[in-house]
Amino acid sequence: MIYAIIGLIFGVVGGILTPGFVPKIYAPYFSVALMAGLDTAFGGLRAAMEGDYDNVVFLSGFFVNIALSVFFCYAGIMMDIDFYLIVILVLGMRIFNNIALIRRLYLKK
Amino acid sequence: MNVKNKHTRILIFLVCIILGFMITMQLKSHNQHQTIAAQRAEELTVRLKEVQADRDKLAKELDEYRAGRISGAAQKEMDELKARAGETELEGKGIIFTLDDSKQAAKAGENKNLYIIHDEDLLRVVNELRSAGAEAISLNGQRLIGSSEIRCVGPTVLVNERRLAAPFVISAIGNPQTLESSLKLRGGVIENFKFWGIKADVVQSDKVRVPAYKGNRTFEFAKMVSEEEKKKTEEKSAENKKETAGNTKPSDNKAVADAGKEQPAGKQKNAGGVTK
Repeated sequence: MIYAIIGLIFGVVGGILTPGFVPKIYAPYFSVALMAGLDTAFGGLRAAMEGDYDNVVFLSGFFVNIALSVFFCYAGIMMDIDFYLIVILVLGMRIFNNIALIRRLYLKK
Repeated sequence: MNVKNKHTRILIFLVCIILGFMITMQLKSHNQHQTIAAQRAEELTVRLKEVQADRDKLAKELDEYRAGRISGAAQKEMDELKARAGETELEGKGIIFTLDDSKQAAKAGENKNLYIIHDEDLLRVVNELRSAGAEAISLNGQRLIGSSEIRCVGPTVLVNERRLAAPFVISAIGNPQTLESSLKLRGGVIENFKFWGIKADVVQSDKVRVPAYKGNRTFEFAKMVSEEEKKKTEEKSAENKKETAGNTKPSDNKAVADAGKEQPAGKQKNAGGVTK
């Protein structure tokens, strides 16, 4: 757990120190990617608590989910359908599910 | 949660770095977008204030010029010129002439257009009124000035760049008797209209109102010739005349011939000068 918090702090500091910002046209992609990353992180946490955590699954999930959500977002914008809303909705639901499971596992302990 | 594997720790660490980075970037970008919008609004507000201040200043200046600088005779002259140019609303004796499209059904094989009022009809009326000494004319509330056009555009008539449709009401200020009789001449405008069933009504009135010209007038191509320039050109032409006159005096046959070519009327005079 301590590694995760240190990593987050490092990332935040890195983000603050990085000059520039995401242009407005890429904002939907970036937000979707962020949601996918968060989803994977919580999924990994849940898996670790359930005891079936796997390095490869976690890492591949992290990047593939990000790539897939960004692709969906792009396809949606190309087709003039608000796909990215769906992506955010699904990912948000998954995050809530994961957090609910984590909470229950934590309370069971 | 205890992580045993060293690889796993590094992995979680890296993933968390990426996540933290993304979160901060997202927040930063969001703030940036907002500040950009706010900056733009602020900039525009400042500009608006500047422009407003400018406008107020200029309006004040204009008032000053109107009130202070022009006085007495100049003011009177300006008022008169304004009235002549159609800048002021005018009132006086005159006539009100109403025209409406014909209600008669066109006879078979006849052009329907003949029963409708056209720009030419209106032009004839206006021309007639002007020749009868109308001092101010308006057509459906549009003051007719020197640059006013009367022109068919589809089913409407364009006057002062505004579309007008029948019925047409022409108000004219002038001697009511003269104006009315000018329209009612035998073979004149009204008789012509009656033939086609176009309704034409003349009403004399003691109080005819003709509104001011509302359009804008700016010169895009024409430039005013200032008094100085005028003088200069006049001097130049005067000098030229002097020169030609000077050239003809000495007994130089060529000069005389040249002058003669230029001014055939003055030839004899010049020739007389040479013999002297």
